[in-house]
Amino acid sequence: MVNPGGAYLGADLYTVDVEVEAGASLLLTTQSATKIYRTPGSYAEQRMSLVLGEGAQLELAPDQLIAYREASYRQNTHITVHPASSLLMAEVITPGWSPDGSSFRYEELRLRNEIHVAGTDGDGTHGTELLALDNLLIRPPLGDVTGMGFMEGFSHLGSLIVVDDRVDQALADELNALTAGRDAYTGVSLTDTVSGTTGLILRSLSNSTEELNHVLGACTALLRERWYGQAPLNLRKY
Amino acid sequence: MPNTRTSPASAEAGRGYRLALQQLTDSALPTGAFAHSLGFETYIHRGLVHDEATFGTWLHAFVAQQLTYSDALAMRFLYDGAELAGLDAHLSAQLLPRQLREASTKMGGRLIEIGTEVFPSAELEAYRTLVSGGRAAGHQPLAFAVVAHSLEVPFEEALAAYLFATVTSLTQNAVRAIPLGQNAGQRVLRGAHDAVAAAVGQVRHLGWDDFGAVSPGLEISQMRHERQRARMFMS
Repeated sequence: MVNPGGAYLGADLYTVDVEVEAGASLLLTTQSATKIYRTPGSYAEQRMSLVLGEGAQLELAPDQLIAYREASYRQNTHITVHPASSLLMAEVITPGWSPDGSSFRYEELRLRNEIHVAGTDGDGTHGTELLALDNLLIRPPLGDVTGMGFMEGFSHLGSLIVVDDRVDQALADELNALTAGRDAYTGVSLTDTVSGTTGLILRSLSNSTEELNHVLGACTALLRERWYGQAPLNLRKY
Repeated sequence: MPNTRTSPASAEAGRGYRLALQQLTDSALPTGAFAHSLGFETYIHRGLVHDEATFGTWLHAFVAQQLTYSDALAMRFLYDGAELAGLDAHLSAQLLPRQLREASTKMGGRLIEIGTEVFPSAELEAYRTLVSGGRAAGHQPLAFAVVAHSLEVPFEEALAAYLFATVTSLTQNAVRAIPLGQNAGQRVLRGAHDAVAAAVGQVRHLGWDDFGAVSPGLEISQMRHERQRARMFMS
């Protein structure tokens, strides 16, 4: 996806609808970092809808998010997976950018991922069940977001979500072991199993995009190799 | 008098729920809260929580994040009339650290059992039926809100009581685990009054988009607790 006009501005609304049909596979990335410029009195918004059919595979690997001074941004991603589809999504959020070099000068970042599992009957008429609700809200003007109980003294946040019927506790422990030794503070846990599929959530705090890309990249490389026989992701964008 | 709010019968009812609320929020209520740190044991393990001041810092973050964006908001949606099974599913979906989800349903299950015996109501029976039929998980804040609502406890009173009861059991656990002196524990509790009041005020302004917006630091620490070797607590 090409980020239009260089950056998102106030009152911008981008809607992205993607459907990966049964048996198809898609790697979706951005051309460069997603930048949010000042949005005085308003906010920029992205609404994304992702639907995965039976046996579909989607890897979502956008570049990092950078919110500039006085920026507000809302990102809503609504995902419907099939019990037999495979989803991999990784994201890195930076502390933003300001002219004087200080961090967390933006107004507000909201990133919300809502993941549903479609009914197994496959006729599209039955309801979906909620699997995971991953909600991030950072509002630096309202109080310290850098300390204990929030960013724990770190500046960058990475997250990885995997939804696949092969996700289990052994995999969670294995990915957790891969993150050891990195200069990042990482946790891994599992959602409940819904309609036969399970979500794995990895969150990681660090002080650089590069370090988080190493953590997330090591995990996605393992899954790509094991599940799809694919080499580690190398997008060679720069 | 048509205005029943000021009638003697209603004042009587008010006194009735006060004792019920006291019983429900007593730290001796056997829900198993003594077994859960809800993530602070990870901070003790890392040496970041080690005395009255550092535990107070963690507790304030926990009230402002976890208890506000998850528990308090769930209770408000219930009082606002949200559909119970859907609300329960939302809580399961947004409690991403597994141990937090299990803590909520373990204590919630006990609260439903106790409530069924001592404060039975049609509302609680409906929740119990959803849980026993596998259509709901049975989360602690919802079980509490269902009972409080059936007893006609006003929302903000029920919420403040629930939040302070949670803060109290966490502080008692910290007194044992860190350890802190008993008087230090009481000072931490007094210091938490403002945080609880702020959470009650804050939740009025939040909506569905805010539900589950717990800080990444708390969540990672709760997740890491799963793999901590020596531990006193189940979460």
